[in-house]
Amino acid sequence: MSKKYCIFITALFCAFIGVFLVANAVAPDRTFSEMENRNLEQLPTPSVKTLLSGEFMKDFETYTTDQFVARDSWIGLKSATERALGKQENNSVYFCDEDTLITRFDQPDSQKVSDNLTYVNNFVENVDIPVVFSLIPTQACIWAERLPAGAPNASQTAILDQAQAAVPGALWADLYAPLWAHKGEDIFYRTDHHWTSLGAYYGYTGLAEALGYEPVSLDSYTETIRSTQFYGTVFSSSGVRWVSPDTISTYVPDTGITVTEHSYDNKGNPIEIPRSLYVESFLSVKDKYSMFLGGNQSLGVVKTPNTDKPKLLIIRDSYADSLVPFLTPHFSEIHLIDLRYYKLSIQNYVEQNGIDQALVLYSVPNFVTDTNLLWIAR
Amino acid sequence: MVFSSLYFLFLYLPVVLFLYYITPLKWRNLLLLVANLIFYAWGEPVYILIMFVSIAIDYTHGMLVEANKRRGNDRGARLAVASSVIFNLALLFFFKYWDFIAGSLEAIGLTFMPKLGLSLPIGISFYTFQTMSYTIDVYRGDARVQRNIINFSTFVTLFPQLIAGPIIKYKDLGDQIDCRKHSPEMFASGVQVFVVGLAKKVLLANNLGMLWDVYKALPTGELTVAGAWLGVAAFSLQLYFDFSGYSDMAVGLGRMLGFEFMRNFNYPYIAKSITEFWRRWHISLGTWFREYLYIPLGGNRVSKPRLFFNLLIVWAATGIWHGASWNFLIWGLYFAALLILEKAFLGRVLEKLPTLVRHLYTLFFVLVSWAIFAVEDFGHMGTYLSAMFGMAPGGLSNAAVGYYFSSYLPMLLIGAVASTPLAAGLWKKLPEKPMRVVLPVLLLAGLIFSTAYLVDATYNPFLYFRF
Repeated sequence: MSKKYCIFITALFCAFIGVFLVANAVAPDRTFSEMENRNLEQLPTPSVKTLLSGEFMKDFETYTTDQFVARDSWIGLKSATERALGKQENNSVYFCDEDTLITRFDQPDSQKVSDNLTYVNNFVENVDIPVVFSLIPTQACIWAERLPAGAPNASQTAILDQAQAAVPGALWADLYAPLWAHKGEDIFYRTDHHWTSLGAYYGYTGLAEALGYEPVSLDSYTETIRSTQFYGTVFSSSGVRWVSPDTISTYVPDTGITVTEHSYDNKGNPIEIPRSLYVESFLSVKDKYSMFLGGNQSLGVVKTPNTDKPKLLIIRDSYADSLVPFLTPHFSEIHLIDLRYYKLSIQNYVEQNGIDQALVLYSVPNFVTDTNLLWIAR
Repeated sequence: MVFSSLYFLFLYLPVVLFLYYITPLKWRNLLLLVANLIFYAWGEPVYILIMFVSIAIDYTHGMLVEANKRRGNDRGARLAVASSVIFNLALLFFFKYWDFIAGSLEAIGLTFMPKLGLSLPIGISFYTFQTMSYTIDVYRGDARVQRNIINFSTFVTLFPQLIAGPIIKYKDLGDQIDCRKHSPEMFASGVQVFVVGLAKKVLLANNLGMLWDVYKALPTGELTVAGAWLGVAAFSLQLYFDFSGYSDMAVGLGRMLGFEFMRNFNYPYIAKSITEFWRRWHISLGTWFREYLYIPLGGNRVSKPRLFFNLLIVWAATGIWHGASWNFLIWGLYFAALLILEKAFLGRVLEKLPTLVRHLYTLFFVLVSWAIFAVEDFGHMGTYLSAMFGMAPGGLSNAAVGYYFSSYLPMLLIGAVASTPLAAGLWKKLPEKPMRVVLPVLLLAGLIFSTAYLVDATYNPFLYFRF
């Protein structure tokens, strides 16, 4: 190789590393990644303490990856490369048939599962009201036929059986049968971990007997399409960019229904923030599923015009957000507690608010990994 | 700091290269020293003090050896060498093996050595070996004493080879530390070797590592015969690309800064015997042990029993060097046994066999060795090895093996081809003209895809950090 050519190779390499050095320095830092639905690391300030402990270096490393220019495109390039190399999953998401992305469900930590079931059982024994307990089987279970051939997939039905047996004091509602019966329909999102409103409706029919209501027929509602451009969480974590977007629909009208979020201001005083059954402003951002009840909240209270009906408390994950609309004809109030944020006594809450019935409802993957269920029995 | 990280590639490296080349020649070692210290302190902000102590002690010992030799005091020089070796080994023993020995004694009921729970200073296995070789080489007359403390410190801390080798002996690098040439030819060849190393590490090793992770973590009841072999095959490729990729990056970075390091790997998986495998695998460690342990023990110019004893000592040391755990010792002794057998009669038998059989023989025993190497827990190692030999609780194979095999088949094939000299051979046959076009395309592709994988991966630990 001639000297000239060597200078060219040298310059090419230096230009490559130099261009990104400059680009990263010049590009403004982002605070939030919509694609990943999380806050991005900001430039850490070093102190003697964080330098000696190495904490600064760790934060700085996260900062450089989080803030790398065109981060989302690089991640897209990686997942496309993986697919080209014959991989059938990326970042624990399977590339499935029918344009579907499904998060892997691996054998859960059995200790964690039995601990969580014990917490639920303690809760059932602590309160004097009837408790309904149910877990929602998800895509990896109901849509297992769409998974790549031979893809490892732990049994969710085994968890359902274990859960039913471990909490004998609660009424068990089986959601597997109604979801399985409709597995050919769009009951889950193809790009998000949640169930669709349609899936939530079948879940609602599965809960009917245990909660003691006669389900309204689906035909009496009209489907309203809210968005046809929904890319959910599984889409984000997969890095995959080649699937088509999901559609978000609702069925139940929100007339006469109020939703209040109970929270605290930064001085620690309790405050009430009005929300609604459908918060349409979320339809214009990435996190469109938060349209249902306005997304995460510690404690939310839904009040309906049916004042003669009982009061329901749901200890829940985010799957309940799209279920709640269907429950509104049967309850006067629906109280929603998210144990990730709510750390007060549930027993007291039940007594103070005159709750008639409680429902503990989680998706199977959330339940087996949840680290906050110990708060349920406090 | 690791090379296969975004802040190294796009912050540390461009800044260091820029400052290095605008600095006048006589200040470059000082600049490099500062850069080395930042590089090391990034991962070891506190333990860098140990490195300072190590530098101070080896620097003065080098001077002592030389002073005694000059005065004709061989005994004094020997004492100084011994003192330096003892110091370095004590340092290594204390940080790397104390808890291992304490734990092993505890297991048989002896508790006089409390466990300390110290973390292993990054690169200590590498830099203690390098500094030990310095005083020995000065004594042997193979290297001149280094009087300039900055130059000596630059040698010990030289960032391209600081944390994962190759283990560079002072006699090979001393002259380059004092005076080295920089040229576009050297830089450009450094770029090529570096990018190849980066791609090996980021695109091949990390990827195949995910397959090994599956089988390493598999509950024993689900382990199948085919799965156990698939897992260990993935690990063997992962380890090779990880380590040789890192060595390539070191060599490449060295050349960018005007240094020429020794080659650390020479396609080990094409070896036709275990003896040959070890001439091709981690060459810098093998030659270190040969020069400073095997030959002083008498090498092979001794009686057969003594030769076998020497091999046993050297391979026990090689094994335990890889990590303070029994499985590494067993792994070393396993190779000692094979090497002794090859020296005794097997080597002559092998030579008469067809090449294919010799390749299969070598790969078989190397793959088995990786199962011993990779699985630290004895119970699990036993299950894994018996699974490889047909006694798998999950039977011969299952659907998951089919899934992983088909998912990783292209990667495994690329890995298998890349661990032979095939591609490099074809590359050399390429006429100059097309090569001039293809080279920058390949370099850019390597850099772009590696960057994509690095941005995607938050998890990117370097395997050889434990050694």
